[in-house]
Amino acid sequence: MNKFTLQLRVKQSEGALVRILGVTRRRRFDLLHLTADTTEDGHFLDIQMTVQADRAENTLVRQIEKLEDVSQVEVVEPDEAPAQRRAARSTAC
Amino acid sequence: MKGAEFLVRALEHEGVEIIFGYPGGAIMPVYDALLDSKIRHILVRHEQAAALAADGYARATGKVGVCMATSGPGATNLVTGIANAYMDSVPMVAITGQVATSLMGTDAFQEVDIFGITLPVVKHSFLAKTAAELPRIVHEAFRIARSGRPGPVLIDLPKDIANTVAEYDFHEDDRSEETAEPSKESITRALALMRESRTPVVYAGGGIGMGNAIEEFRTFIETTRIPVVATLKGLGALPTTHGLALGMMGMHGTKTANHAVQTCDLLICVGARFDDRATGRLNAFAPNARVIHLDVDRAEVGKLRRADVPVIGNLRHALKALTCKLGSIEPWRRECTASKETHAWDYAAPGTEVYAPGFLKSLSDRAGDDSIVACDVGQHQMWVAQHFHFNRPSQHLSSGGLGTMGYGLPAAIGAQLAFPNATVINVSGDGSIMMNLQELATLRRYDLPVKIVLFDNRALGMVRQWQELFHDKRYSEVDLSDNPDFCRVAESMGIPAFRVEDRAGVSSAIDRLLAEPGPVLAHVLIHQEANVWPIVGPGRSNSEMLHQHEVAREVAR
Repeated sequence: MNKFTLQLRVKQSEGALVRILGVTRRRRFDLLHLTADTTEDGHFLDIQMTVQADRAENTLVRQIEKLEDVSQVEVVEPDEAPAQRRAARSTAC
Repeated sequence: MKGAEFLVRALEHEGVEIIFGYPGGAIMPVYDALLDSKIRHILVRHEQAAALAADGYARATGKVGVCMATSGPGATNLVTGIANAYMDSVPMVAITGQVATSLMGTDAFQEVDIFGITLPVVKHSFLAKTAAELPRIVHEAFRIARSGRPGPVLIDLPKDIANTVAEYDFHEDDRSEETAEPSKESITRALALMRESRTPVVYAGGGIGMGNAIEEFRTFIETTRIPVVATLKGLGALPTTHGLALGMMGMHGTKTANHAVQTCDLLICVGARFDDRATGRLNAFAPNARVIHLDVDRAEVGKLRRADVPVIGNLRHALKALTCKLGSIEPWRRECTASKETHAWDYAAPGTEVYAPGFLKSLSDRAGDDSIVACDVGQHQMWVAQHFHFNRPSQHLSSGGLGTMGYGLPAAIGAQLAFPNATVINVSGDGSIMMNLQELATLRRYDLPVKIVLFDNRALGMVRQWQELFHDKRYSEVDLSDNPDFCRVAESMGIPAFRVEDRAGVSSAIDRLLAEPGPVLAHVLIHQEANVWPIVGPGRSNSEMLHQHEVAREVAR
């Protein structure tokens, strides 16, 4: 199993988070962890998600990066303290 | 001005000439606005046909196809057509009415979450929240539908937004639709592999036509002289009669095409996606080949087969940059050409019944170079791919990725409206035609001169063939011997029809079909056990093709 964490920035638009989760599920990646915060200007969602699959990272990264509202996709080390950051803001999906 | 008028004006601004649709409660404001528009609306008899006709129109013209339906069942009936466009990368904008914003989320009459339902099968989607944003949404929808790798875009329009009065204020953005050029480094590496290769093959996909790269592709082939195999959607990128065209590859491909791919040392994939019907067992596909993969969609490169050299970006630029003379492949080219002659199709089938491949070959020879063929899905679809000649991919409208039975007649309607003077032929089967039979009424309503060739084997032929070959002849739910009288059905909808019962009647049938000034249906009876040959069995390598004579020998033992 290949386990990795993605950091995404997505335009706050109808169904943005659902769209990303849908691609993740359809491409057969299991979701292990997710945080999503609205940026301070309210225009974007910052999403960090940890997933695992038998497939290579790029299989998912390339499907997500071509979504219209996604402006940034990076494979990162997991954020050590996402919970505190998350607590202060609400999330729309 | 109301939101619905914004929408229609924005569609006019995008150059839309035809919309395929079906009215209903939530979309009524738009239908009202259409009365004052120059856009032509084509009323189909089922929303699925609206989406499939828009798809056919888009494939035949290269423009964005537009379809429209009301909320609830109208919207869900579009879904198959939207998915069909998604799987085959067809530019489409689908507009659905939605219940009023205040009713959304309350399970209102004819409310369905079409935005959510279509998420996996659209390139993008919009839910309109204000009337003022509609012109921007429409403009973005068209840009997204046709740019890069094309695909369908949904606009869901709540009824209250369509009725809202607002100021029309729209400034078009100038975002470029031009896709990126491939990197110089990838071109250099690809050229090096091409120069080292002794047995290269080009694997031509639908991206060549969709990417307007036909001219560059043909120059690339004429200069490099590399033999070409095609996917279903790649047929016609090089004329199928061209000396370097080895035919279709894959499950029902030619022996020459599959053998060339299985033995080549370099596979140059141009705008294709290593689909399972093309590759057969993936880990045995092109086992000796290094791979250069040209595609506008980065996500397709390396998805199923590692590319030694990915060339990502605009195909026109990539092909131009890779066009060079190759001196060392002459023996290989001769081998491929000789194989093509050795394994040419044999139309001298035994018996007196109509032989569908022979019928299609004759029809192709006589229909003219500009004819357009829209197929349904099944055995007849593969016979068309094998035996019709195509000079360009837009002549061949076929549901490749989704495999949608019922595609052919609506797609033919879309193509015929785009090209009123062209010979448009729908080749169908007795299974498929029943999926959208109601569209015969659309043919009559608009007097569209589509020629329908209905091959009738009184069975779901492709499934029957698989049950015969791979399920020990255990036939399950494939018998259609209680079909209606198709000629009388057609005639009841005002379409002249006639039956072709044996091979002796084929020539005059084709004469009659092509001479008829309006729509016409030829009901062609074929043997119930006619099969598509050759075939690669499920899970098998493309090296393991089954041929008719081999199967017959096996049975005789």
